[in-house]
Amino acid sequence: MDVLVFSLFNGVLYGMLLFMLASGLTLIFSMMGVLNFAHASLFMLGAYFAYEVSRHVGFWPGLLIAPLAVGVIGAIIERYGLRPVHRLGHVAELLFTFGLAFVIEEVVQMIWGKVPVPYDIPDALKFTAFTWRGLDYSAYRLFMLCISVGIFVALYAFIARTRTGLVIRAALTHPHIVAALGHDVPKVFMWTFGFGCALAGLAGAISGNVLGTEPAMAIQLGPIVFVVIVIGGLGSLGGALIAALFIGVLDNLAISYDLSFYPVLEALGVARDAEGLLSDLVNLTTANIAPVLPYLLLVLILIFRPRGLLGTRDV
Amino acid sequence: MKLRNAVAFFALLVGAVLAGAAQASETIKIGLIEPMSGPIAAVGRDTLFAFEFWAGKVNERGGVLGGRQLEIVPLDNAMNAEKTTHQLKKAVDLGLRYVSQGVGSNHALNIIGFVNKHNKRNPDKSILYLNHAAVTTAFTNELCSFWHFRFDANVDMKVAALTTQMGLDPEVNKVYMLNQNYAYGRSFQAAARRLLQQRVPEAELVGDELIVPFGKVLDFTPFIAKIKASGADTVLTGNWGPDIHRFVKASMGSGLDVQFYTIYGGLTSSIAGYGGAAKSVNLKQVTEFHENDDVPSTKNLLPLMDEWQATYKQSGYSDRPRWLIEMLAAAMDKAGSDDPVAVGMAMEGLSFDGPLGQVVMRRDDHQMLMPLVVSSLTTQYERPVVYDGKDYGVAFSTDGHVSREDTSLPTTCQMKRPG
Repeated sequence: MDVLVFSLFNGVLYGMLLFMLASGLTLIFSMMGVLNFAHASLFMLGAYFAYEVSRHVGFWPGLLIAPLAVGVIGAIIERYGLRPVHRLGHVAELLFTFGLAFVIEEVVQMIWGKVPVPYDIPDALKFTAFTWRGLDYSAYRLFMLCISVGIFVALYAFIARTRTGLVIRAALTHPHIVAALGHDVPKVFMWTFGFGCALAGLAGAISGNVLGTEPAMAIQLGPIVFVVIVIGGLGSLGGALIAALFIGVLDNLAISYDLSFYPVLEALGVARDAEGLLSDLVNLTTANIAPVLPYLLLVLILIFRPRGLLGTRDV
Repeated sequence: MKLRNAVAFFALLVGAVLAGAAQASETIKIGLIEPMSGPIAAVGRDTLFAFEFWAGKVNERGGVLGGRQLEIVPLDNAMNAEKTTHQLKKAVDLGLRYVSQGVGSNHALNIIGFVNKHNKRNPDKSILYLNHAAVTTAFTNELCSFWHFRFDANVDMKVAALTTQMGLDPEVNKVYMLNQNYAYGRSFQAAARRLLQQRVPEAELVGDELIVPFGKVLDFTPFIAKIKASGADTVLTGNWGPDIHRFVKASMGSGLDVQFYTIYGGLTSSIAGYGGAAKSVNLKQVTEFHENDDVPSTKNLLPLMDEWQATYKQSGYSDRPRWLIEMLAAAMDKAGSDDPVAVGMAMEGLSFDGPLGQVVMRRDDHQMLMPLVVSSLTTQYERPVVYDGKDYGVAFSTDGHVSREDTSLPTTCQMKRPG
């Protein structure tokens, strides 16, 4: 029972981290439909900017400056990069952002080197908030949780309850009517994209010190973010939250309960000392493959429920 | 004879003499196949620096075979299997007879297969493969080849060194193993299971996990919870890269009180990856030397390390490139030839003065035998770890030396030699 409670608790912590990473992409991919392969690269830029600012000024200013900087870069990318390419179709957009991801990775290596940078948790939050089952939970992890929740609440309120949010939602589904009503639709897209990138930058600034800030982080973290969005369903912020939490809890349950696949194989008549491929399967446990389970889930969702959990559009 | 014929004759004679002279002072090229671009480029770049530095030392002394200089030819594989094959073919086209590589056992396997086939079909253009870091034990056992020489201790040897030291460590009572689920990690796991029983018989193995490798695990907290629940005091792991950075950071963040016995935990990129945790984590590594080791043969190297650091702005981590280049030069001079077969024969059984004592290239399997040192991360040191001009505020202190006898393991290699 204790293990279950721990798995749920840590699963929520981890799930909210995933949601924070994916939050910017809910706006960009989920709502605007732009397949932005450079999203994780912008997340990485946020982490590096925050590191640089924390070196010279401090951690807290970094939390403000990094998202702003990445947001501005995002707006510029949209205005001068995506907007001309958008006419040429989804594949062109995809390729553009794909190439952009590589360029950003190289630029980061040129400026900050190829070795991880020591971006650390601020001293102010280094203390232990509480201890449970022998493990310390640092105040910083709770801070991360609060920020994630805050992002969700703010995004939801912004999109669903403000006038600007209303214009954005309308512009995404009925751009021509919205333009006819006098709104500058291209500008709306630019700021939405910029805001999504700013969220990626904020996520990078907050989690870069925990996950490690190095040039390869974009490639590592990119895929899981897309998985969260697709499982949650396109067009749905709530779906992304539920998907992230579900993945977080599933990951923890798989590792903590560490179920073996042997009972299934035994029923199929496989001996415990089987050789070769079968020996791999016999020894396989859920803990071994925990990080791969979200991708398995992605495949199942796309087969059986392509709209995702709460999606409003097909992928 | 006519004047025109005479002039032509002399021109030809002079040309032949010059060509002959050019041939005699032709450089001996060693191709270095490593990632020089992409996320692992730093490792390839640092290897190239080391090769160039030590080849430069040999050249300063007059080169090999009466004046021929060594030249390092960088060949970028960008950690891509097809590119490795492409660079091998390029090496053949360039007439290279020596290639070196070490980053990534999958590429090493590719190279071994390639040179085996190539040398069989082209015995007059044979290529020798000098492996400086690919540690898969099979390369000097089931997969051994005359054309392959390994200058690094293999996984089993490194685990033997770690477990020998663990057997002497009174703090090691309950061991938890966590490794990456791919060829290297499984090889570590298999060797550790065997050697823990032999060399640390009183300790209890309380956990044995495999994880999805290469940075896929973002949150190590559930693993840490399991380690805590098992009551382990020691974690034995072969993890490298983000799989150890995040592990260490999460452990320190959760207040897990264990000591880490690792192979690659002390890589400079990992020290950078731990961030502040580097100064408080109880982490051990096994290497062929470290700069703060209070042993005369290591201290003799320090002036060279100073020169290395002045040139490349980094402290010394691996001494193997020096062994490789110097032993290649010695083998060439011993054989009196640059022919790979002759040099290979001369290399067998060759010994060299390493930083901890004699290192020997075992004839049976072309595996270098060497003493190893197990050391801990510390903030008390004389010479800090420096990289790209940055002082990381930590270094290593020796826990124990493991003799060549204790690190050497029997081999199953049945080597077929040419000629």
